Amino acid sequence: MKFRTERDNLLDALITTSRAASARGSLGGAPSLQLSLHGNTLDLTGSDPDLVIESSIEVAGANNGSILLPARLIVDIVRSLSAGAITFDGGSEEMAITSGKAEFKVRVPVGAEITRIAPLPSEGITLPAKRFAEGLRQVVRAALTDDARAPQLTGVLMAATESGIRLVATDSYRLAFCDLEGISALAQGSEVLIPARALGEIERLISASNEEDQTILFRHSEFDAVFEVGNVKLTTRLLKGNFPDYQRLLPPSYPNNIEISRDELGAAVKRVRLMVRDSKDATTPVRINFSGAGAELRVLTPENGSAAEMVEGTYEGEDITVAFNPNYLLQGIEAVQSDTLTIELIDSAKPATLRSTGDANYQYLLMPVRVS
Amino acid sequence: MAKDEGKLDVLHLDMDCFFVAVEVKDDPSLAGLPVAVGGNTDRGVVASASYEARAFGVHAAMSTAVAKRQCADLVIISPHFERYTQMNRELLRIIEQVTPDYEPIAFDEAFIDVAGAHRLFGTSEEIARRLHAQVHDELGLSCSVGVARNKLLAKLGSKAAKPTVQMSQGPPRRALVMPGEGVTVIDTDREYQFLHSHGLRALPGIGPKTAERMRALGLNTIADAVEVGRARLIAHFGASLGSQIDDLVHGIDHRRVHRSREARSIGTETTFDRDIFDPDHLRSQIFQFSQRVIARASAQGLVARTVSLKVRYSDLTLISRANTPDAPPRSGEEVARLALGLLDHISIERGIRLLGVHLSNFVGAETAPGEQLSLFDGGEADQEETPQTRRLDAARMEIARRFGEGALDHASLVAPQRAISRNDIERPH
Repeated sequence: MKFRTERDNLLDALITTSRAASARGSLGGAPSLQLSLHGNTLDLTGSDPDLVIESSIEVAGANNGSILLPARLIVDIVRSLSAGAITFDGGSEEMAITSGKAEFKVRVPVGAEITRIAPLPSEGITLPAKRFAEGLRQVVRAALTDDARAPQLTGVLMAATESGIRLVATDSYRLAFCDLEGISALAQGSEVLIPARALGEIERLISASNEEDQTILFRHSEFDAVFEVGNVKLTTRLLKGNFPDYQRLLPPSYPNNIEISRDELGAAVKRVRLMVRDSKDATTPVRINFSGAGAELRVLTPENGSAAEMVEGTYEGEDITVAFNPNYLLQGIEAVQSDTLTIELIDSAKPATLRSTGDANYQYLLMPVRVS
Repeated sequence: MAKDEGKLDVLHLDMDCFFVAVEVKDDPSLAGLPVAVGGNTDRGVVASASYEARAFGVHAAMSTAVAKRQCADLVIISPHFERYTQMNRELLRIIEQVTPDYEPIAFDEAFIDVAGAHRLFGTSEEIARRLHAQVHDELGLSCSVGVARNKLLAKLGSKAAKPTVQMSQGPPRRALVMPGEGVTVIDTDREYQFLHSHGLRALPGIGPKTAERMRALGLNTIADAVEVGRARLIAHFGASLGSQIDDLVHGIDHRRVHRSREARSIGTETTFDRDIFDPDHLRSQIFQFSQRVIARASAQGLVARTVSLKVRYSDLTLISRANTPDAPPRSGEEVARLALGLLDHISIERGIRLLGVHLSNFVGAETAPGEQLSLFDGGEADQEETPQTRRLDAARMEIARRFGEGALDHASLVAPQRAISRNDIERPH
């Protein structure tokens, strides 16, 4: 296999695909990337047992061939080289990489292999990339990040609704859902549970792109789902297990609600949160007193002292104090798109909801921290 | 001593063989005999020994079987903790008349900060003599008091003030108890000489293992350790132990006297009139104690992060198990759940004589961490239950406040057997 390419052209594809080549559920050897050359097309593949990311770029090809290279090392090497031409030249055991006066000879890692994926149905559905990515931004962070407790909570539920699709995620402390109207990605009534990690990568890919009218091609089988964006194809295993019956958790009504500036509230939470030095200590809450004057935030810690800030807002309901994990609260505030957000409350032990004022397409349910 | 006024503000008051002394007070026929308080079984352990018994080599923590071999005439008495607790309360009452700034250590010891008591009660030495006399006159017991600049020296001082004992040149061999000074004042200009009159092992913090390691380095006396210097002590023993040893041999101790009202622990415990093997009985007690300790903590606006369970077996061995959950318990039920979880890890086959539930590691209720509630925890039904439990606790506390404890209780809490004593304890460590 032999080809020549520009460093920047190759580096983007290497970084994108190497994000799937993690040590998670390692395939045996060091995480690897596969490089395959057919004519002037170089296919790069990074994989772990749950996720495969493929990217194709145009290069100046000389000899066709295929090789597995250690993912981290190859990214570091290419990143370290100066902008300009890079030549790859090697057989099935070793790859020579030269650029300017630098020359590397990289061996195929012991035990390296990549995940094979069964073919998927060819008919797919087209999603508007930017809208889908915005929905992901609002929802993905509510999913559980480690799967020790409940693997199905590490996924985002994508469900067909009457008028579009709904994305739902929860880590059991908060629950976010987003309705994308007018998008029919699934057969009526069907739903798939997609690992949040894969969707995080999709969101990253789309956000990095400047193309306004980009589309995503989405296909799925019973076991896998494929997203194709530009020259990148991402395949993920679907999660098994039942997603919780989240609709049961949505309170039918709320006796209290406040309309408040998203930016002012977000800035205030960030400020008072400074008193919580240990970011792992999720149990030091921000206590918010909701009253006619607005929302008064307080953080009290035995070690560092206290912080308080009043944020004005329009409140309807009885005076109540509810405590929240400041990080969870902030993620909910940041997920809302509009300048004014509405927080609906029941009491200090029941879920509160954050959403854009006058818009129910996105909701972020958050359970309080019990402090009394 | 006038030049030291305002410097020697720490007193260490230590009762003289407290458990035995209380027994002798209650039964004067024991006076002058070798007496030990402890478990009178094969597995029993000596908790306290009279000076007459100590002359034969009997000491606390020795098994009673060994103690009997050392001293054939040894009189072994089963402990009466309720009496010791009662006398301890009397002792604290006497100290409290002088100052609220004291730190009880166990049943029989306390550090006292007299900095604020000079105007009313005179010099530190005068206060020490007053306490010594009051303990004698009002409790009929003797104590020893050390007066010094810090806790370390005060503690060595109270030890120096203790009675001593010798064996007569028999036969018959008899123990001769020499009364001690009662009060020892360690003036600052005597500190050096006083400290160096002790062996290394006399310093609290230098145990047999450390002493052995020091001996291996040729450090046999306090003077040796002073001479070798802090840097080398740290090089040999690590930063923590090395600097601790260096402080000790220089008589340095920065620990302050914690006022008793800054309770570090709130607990309730009971001594049963017989050994308890029945787990249901223990559970019911734990449930009851949990209600009580949470009520007392919340009355002081405190939230405890740690729940501990204390158990004394019939052979007097004492064990304590603690749990510090992420979210501190806020109701009696939650304390009970944690304490019952600890009980599961304790063997009760040996029979339990004393049981206690303690809260510690306090933070103000306002600053205590909370518990992140889950959307799924048992669904809506459970979300209702928690505040209700808490409202029930609040109602129970209110009733207890108005009508006294025990006025209202869970039906399941009516214990099948009454405990002979029940001690509510607040203690700093």
